[in-house]
Amino acid sequence: MTAPMEVEQPDLDEDVDTDTPWQVLVWNDPINLMSYVTLVFQKLFGFSLEKATRLMMDVHEKGRATVSSGTRTEAEADVHRLHAYGLWATMEKAEG
Amino acid sequence: MLIVRIEEDAFLFDIPDVLREMVVDLARQLNEQIETDNPSLQRLFPTAYSNDPEKDAGYQILARGELVDGRRTSLTTVMETVDDDQIDGETLEAWMRVVNDLRLVMGTHLDISESDDWAPAPEQEISYAVYQSLSTLLHHIVEAQF
Repeated sequence: MTAPMEVEQPDLDEDVDTDTPWQVLVWNDPINLMSYVTLVFQKLFGFSLEKATRLMMDVHEKGRATVSSGTRTEAEADVHRLHAYGLWATMEKAEG
Repeated sequence: MLIVRIEEDAFLFDIPDVLREMVVDLARQLNEQIETDNPSLQRLFPTAYSNDPEKDAGYQILARGELVDGRRTSLTTVMETVDDDQIDGETLEAWMRVVNDLRLVMGTHLDISESDDWAPAPEQEISYAVYQSLSTLLHHIVEAQF
């Protein structure tokens, strides 16, 4: 017989990074210029002009677009960078 | 108005003096007010967690100071380069951030909407004209960087 092994319980506190990704959303607003939003997406995320334009159009026409995803820490960093550019960004846990 | 890249990291920055004076005047005002609770500033410090006030409070504590510091840095750059007719990419970036911030503050104050019905009230018409001038300037700043 061996001594019972201590099993590490998974930390269920959602404040720590888990495998569940967080999504960063950018929302439509009546002030930011479409060209500005496109340029910021390129600068922050290194997107091609085509991808940045497509995401910007999603924001404009659908009201929001997911621009990045990752751990909570990564998502919060992206939200912060978007806020520094004046974009209306929020984050939430990805569904599923 | 002509803002155009002339070298890898140099832009011709030919904008009317009246626009320079307007931006720097507004930049000084924003610099003085940025840490007040003026409701027109709310778009500079958005909510990160829209459905979790507790997490958002934590974010605001960490982020707000950095967002203020970053904006002050850009505002200072604009005030120091207001007379320059050639600027580097970092300076153009500061102008872009400041002009956009000024549009966010003025647009919030004007309660701008995408609705076709929206029009400035008579007492807002001058502010709206300033807002539109900032939009034109921002458009040129953005186009120069594509």
